[in-house]
Amino acid sequence: MASSLRTNPANTPPPPPSPAIDVRGVTVAYTNGHVALRDATFSLDGGTICGLVGVNGSGKSTLFKAIMGFVKPAAGSVRINGQPVGAAHKKASVAYVPQSEDVDWAFPVSVWDVVLMGRYGAMNLLRIPRQSDKRLAAEALEQVGVADLRSRQIGELSGGQRKRVFLARALAQQAKIILLDEPFTGVDVQTEEAIIALLDRMRDQGCTMLVSTHNLGSVPRFCDRVVIINRTVVAAGPTATTFTRDNLALAFGGALRRLRVDHTDVPGATSHELTVLTDDEGALILGDDGLPPPRTTPDRPAPTAPPGAGA
Amino acid sequence: MIDALLQPLQSEFMLKAIGVSALIGLTCAALSCFVTLKGWSLMGDALSHAVVPGVAIAYAAKLPFALGAFASGMLAAGVMGFVKDRTRLREDAVIGIVFTTFFALGVLLISLYPSNINLKTIVFGNILGIADADIVQVLIISAVTLAVLAFKWKDLVIFLFDPSHARAVGLPTRFLHALLLTLLAATAVASLQAVGACLVVAMLVTPGATAYLLTDRFGAMMLIAMTVGTLTAAVGAYASYFLNGSTGGCIVVLQTGVFAVTLAVAPKHGLITAHRSRVVAGRAAPALSGGAA
Repeated sequence: MASSLRTNPANTPPPPPSPAIDVRGVTVAYTNGHVALRDATFSLDGGTICGLVGVNGSGKSTLFKAIMGFVKPAAGSVRINGQPVGAAHKKASVAYVPQSEDVDWAFPVSVWDVVLMGRYGAMNLLRIPRQSDKRLAAEALEQVGVADLRSRQIGELSGGQRKRVFLARALAQQAKIILLDEPFTGVDVQTEEAIIALLDRMRDQGCTMLVSTHNLGSVPRFCDRVVIINRTVVAAGPTATTFTRDNLALAFGGALRRLRVDHTDVPGATSHELTVLTDDEGALILGDDGLPPPRTTPDRPAPTAPPGAGA
Repeated sequence: MIDALLQPLQSEFMLKAIGVSALIGLTCAALSCFVTLKGWSLMGDALSHAVVPGVAIAYAAKLPFALGAFASGMLAAGVMGFVKDRTRLREDAVIGIVFTTFFALGVLLISLYPSNINLKTIVFGNILGIADADIVQVLIISAVTLAVLAFKWKDLVIFLFDPSHARAVGLPTRFLHALLLTLLAATAVASLQAVGACLVVAMLVTPGATAYLLTDRFGAMMLIAMTVGTLTAAVGAYASYFLNGSTGGCIVVLQTGVFAVTLAVAPKHGLITAHRSRVVAGRAAPALSGGAA
């Protein structure tokens, strides 16, 4: 067996790496007949931060459920690192950061319990944490800056701290693919900056992140790519060319509040017309070319700990 | 005086009753933590009623009662899941319809084909009259349930807390869901003898609810619930000897009593603490508004 695996390594060139997430022609219909997603297609390579935007009911959570394997597509396929979802989840390849409103904050678990849950896939059948599991959990807590809160019950935390705990769980899991469901909802600006800085660091380590958000204004700041959906994928690609007024208009239609600001109202504005698009949260401001501002790195506090720093 | 207090412990049937009650109390209490956190109280009530037709058929067919009861409970759970997934009805409506139907069927079967069990035993329990064969069945069910929980409780906690994460770290969520449902049905079957179909749900909810008021850690919650469940079941069975009253009634009233006291005085989540903090907040508020005015 072993020897046959080792034969002719030189003859076969390694196959090109599979996309981290490959969604192909996915249609999801619920048992009541509602088609939540039709023929959705996009793919993401490793080391990418991708925004997922669309109105409520556009299929964002259905898409997440399909990637997590909670719903089975009626047509099409989802592959993770080239594998079917079931096989990928058995290896704990995908971490999931839930929406705050989906979490039972009164559940009797501490911050430390939650972060250790990230290690369960790697533990033995009795789920007794090894030293290495505890070290990874402690490092994850350090990285998100809530190490001092480890013995608190999770309901005793502020909105921003709660988000950080679940990010720490994803870090502890050491998954290369992370799904984040509305990570900026209900957090202060400082936490938002800290989350974005953390996502940047993880991207640099080769992680792929799919981030659903209503915070349109932040998307050009932290997303390399964007997937715009409205019951199907309306547009997918690099933020600079995809996150445009025209594409957003296709997905959001009348749901977006769109304010036009004439330049005479804005002293010193050079463009003739500004478009302000908002989907409940941070607004997106577009110039008259209808393109997003170029990706910038605003003055962010330096990372508190170098990524992957050991104890 | 002491002789009088020890008297129940000298009769074999009382010792058996107390011992079996304690074991059932322990098993139900362990499971009650999961039932409370999953929001499955109604499901526990439903399953404990849905086992009745199975008991009737098992006795008529001279099969172990647990077998029939368990099959009947799982069938009811299956029907509930089937109807819920395929209609727009809310879950509580589906559960309400299915379990009353099963219970009605059981009542009908027992009245049509009277055997050596009577309706009163199933509905209200009769631990004092428990047959040795039935004790063996209770022992097996409890041992298996407790063993499964000892091995799988951490997986079940993750499944309850965050099913998406459970899936993400490779846990079989569908299996865990089915496992919890199976344990619930099995425990409902075991408790039938002690407190009867009507009161099983109390043993499957109250100890967990009591413990949840006292702690913010799942492990501690399990320990508190199991202690409360075991003690109240044993003491309730013992007290029923002196009261010459229903054992199931004694156990459940005792459990509710412990719950009520806990609800009042629990250090963090009790009513008195909540009232105090409201009073403190109330004292602070007028000072603030007074300052603003």
